[in-house]
Amino acid sequence: MELQILLSIAAILFCVGIYGVISRRNAIGVLLSLELMANAVNLNLVIFARYGDGAVGQAFTLFAIALTVAEVVVGLALVVLLYRTRHDVLTELASDLKR
Amino acid sequence: MTPLILALIAVFAPLIVATLLVIVRPLRNTGKPAAGLSVIGAVASLVASLALFWQSVTGHVDVLQEVMWLPEGGYPMATIGVQLDGISVSMLVVVSLVATCVQVFSLEYMDSETDADYGRYFTWQSLFLFTMQGLVVSPNLLQLFICWELVGLCSYLLIGFYWQKPSAARAAVKAFWITKFADMGLLLGLIVQYVHTGGFGWDDTIVAGLASAGMVNVVAAMYFFAVMGKSAQFPLHVWLPDAMEGPTPVSALLHAATMVAAGVYLIVRAYPIFLAAEQVMPVMACIGGVTAFLAACMAIVQTDIKKVLAYSTCSQLGYMVAALGGGSLMGGYFHLTTHAFFKALLFLAAGSVIHAIHSNEISDMGGLWNRMKLTTVVFVIGSLALAGIPLLSGFYSKDLILESLYEATHHDPIYWIPFIACTVTAGLTAYYMGRVILLAFFGEESEKVSHAHEHGLAMSGPLVLLATLAVFAGFGGGQLGHLYGVHDYHFSVLHVTPVGGLAFLMALSGFGGAYALHTAGMGEGLKTSLVPLGDFIKSGPVDRIWVAIYRQVLHGVADALGWFDRYIIDGLINAFGAWCLNFGEQIRGMQTGRINDYMHVVLMAILILAAVSQVWLRMGGA
Repeated sequence: MELQILLSIAAILFCVGIYGVISRRNAIGVLLSLELMANAVNLNLVIFARYGDGAVGQAFTLFAIALTVAEVVVGLALVVLLYRTRHDVLTELASDLKR
Repeated sequence: MTPLILALIAVFAPLIVATLLVIVRPLRNTGKPAAGLSVIGAVASLVASLALFWQSVTGHVDVLQEVMWLPEGGYPMATIGVQLDGISVSMLVVVSLVATCVQVFSLEYMDSETDADYGRYFTWQSLFLFTMQGLVVSPNLLQLFICWELVGLCSYLLIGFYWQKPSAARAAVKAFWITKFADMGLLLGLIVQYVHTGGFGWDDTIVAGLASAGMVNVVAAMYFFAVMGKSAQFPLHVWLPDAMEGPTPVSALLHAATMVAAGVYLIVRAYPIFLAAEQVMPVMACIGGVTAFLAACMAIVQTDIKKVLAYSTCSQLGYMVAALGGGSLMGGYFHLTTHAFFKALLFLAAGSVIHAIHSNEISDMGGLWNRMKLTTVVFVIGSLALAGIPLLSGFYSKDLILESLYEATHHDPIYWIPFIACTVTAGLTAYYMGRVILLAFFGEESEKVSHAHEHGLAMSGPLVLLATLAVFAGFGGGQLGHLYGVHDYHFSVLHVTPVGGLAFLMALSGFGGAYALHTAGMGEGLKTSLVPLGDFIKSGPVDRIWVAIYRQVLHGVADALGWFDRYIIDGLINAFGAWCLNFGEQIRGMQTGRINDYMHVVLMAILILAAVSQVWLRMGGA
């Protein structure tokens, strides 16, 4: 029973992240929501590692966190660039692909 | 010392010097010390070669030492090494002897150059000596090919020695292009030979392998094409006269005595292959005969003393090739040996004149006999040897060539062509040499000649040595025949056959004609009537044909290929790129530019994929 509760928490966290990514107009908000999604996945890893045997999942999570940090650095750099060129961080400002 | 060690000294002494001079730039730029080092290398090579020669005359030298090269699956694809027998040992002596003479001669001849140029000249001389010796000792055609290309490189460097002169730079490039074009034949021949026999040698098993594959004529023809380029056979001879832009001692060493003879040497070495190529042999003889005749005609009308000698070299190489085509290894190789001495002598004597009066033109000479007695004497000796006057070296070798061609006519009437061409050429040779002697060394003294004077020991010493050899080298014929492994040649000093007598008569009438036309002043009408023909020959008709081929055919092909590249290959790529751009423009309307919308699409896609996979699993898929 405990496992299902824990997995549900991770799933809820993931859905919150998805909702944020879809609905947020602020680029920093989108980035935060992405972090939520990533951490939901990390949480899943830790949970399964706890109920399985061995510490591979836990160790793997550490790597995933480090990678997430790197990814956030890139994302924040994009946001900074967006702010420099558009003087705001609204996502609809980065819409050069459309005609 | 063992023959192998002597051979290694003969080959590598010049290389050590050349490497040292190439790497240590300050040493090269000192000039005189660099030259001294180069001469030491050449002398070491000469001494080792002479010791080898002595061993092979007194005993018997037959060494074949190879090391593995390009190992492929445990056994060597090729070997490099040293092959010493009568043929290579005598060639080693010829090369190192002429090279030493030329280098000593150059010490004084090149003394007006700056120290850096002086050092550069001797660096390349040493490099050339190494590559040529390496070619001579090659035990297989692959090593020979490598050295063949290297001597071509040295030729290029030395022809273009005065690279500041546009004509010299152009001549160097021309020589390089034409010989490289011909060398394609050697490379392709090697590939074909390797494919069919698995070896680069020329022994009986290789010949048998080629013959059973039916490729022996093809391979021999390819090799002969390379020989035509290197040994300046018609119609690929056009680079040799231009190569006279190099310093005169270079012309003596590379473009008279040794490098151009490499082609003939290739035939001599790979003679078993050529002997088996029954269709190629008559072609060789005819091309040799035609070259001998045409080049002699061209030599008659030249006004530049070096060009006369250059065409004469073409002509004499034609003799050698004709003899080899006629089946006489002894004739071709004997003439190579004697020719190396007397033609190097003629070039060095001409260099002595050019150094004294600073002009190549025969019209600037005249009456040199009064100022330069020694040079005149050695030039006349060289000319008489070249013309084939009895008791001088050229007579014995040329006589042998004509006899062998005459014998060949009994088997195949096509050999009448080279025989007649070579016999007539004997007269023409005497005529053009007589003309040069009479116009340049006798007759009226010109303005420039009045300041001329004989040179020092460095220049006269080699002249005397080579003149001695030009006289006496012919008497070694019997010994050389023994060395070459030719047993049906019996040498005698007073050896007069009808053919030899005919050639002698031709030579005498040639000299007589030269005297009548240029000194006695006879035949003015004949001379004026032949002026247009002479002008036509001088204008280089063969050169013009090559230029036309180059402009029309080569440029045409290049233009066609360029068009194909620009419009077909590039066109396809550009069309594809344009199509991509165009397609992108058209589907651009789908974009909203809002990141949130894209995230919706991604989410929808994930959900759909999840749904599909669930349905698929429930349906009992994999």
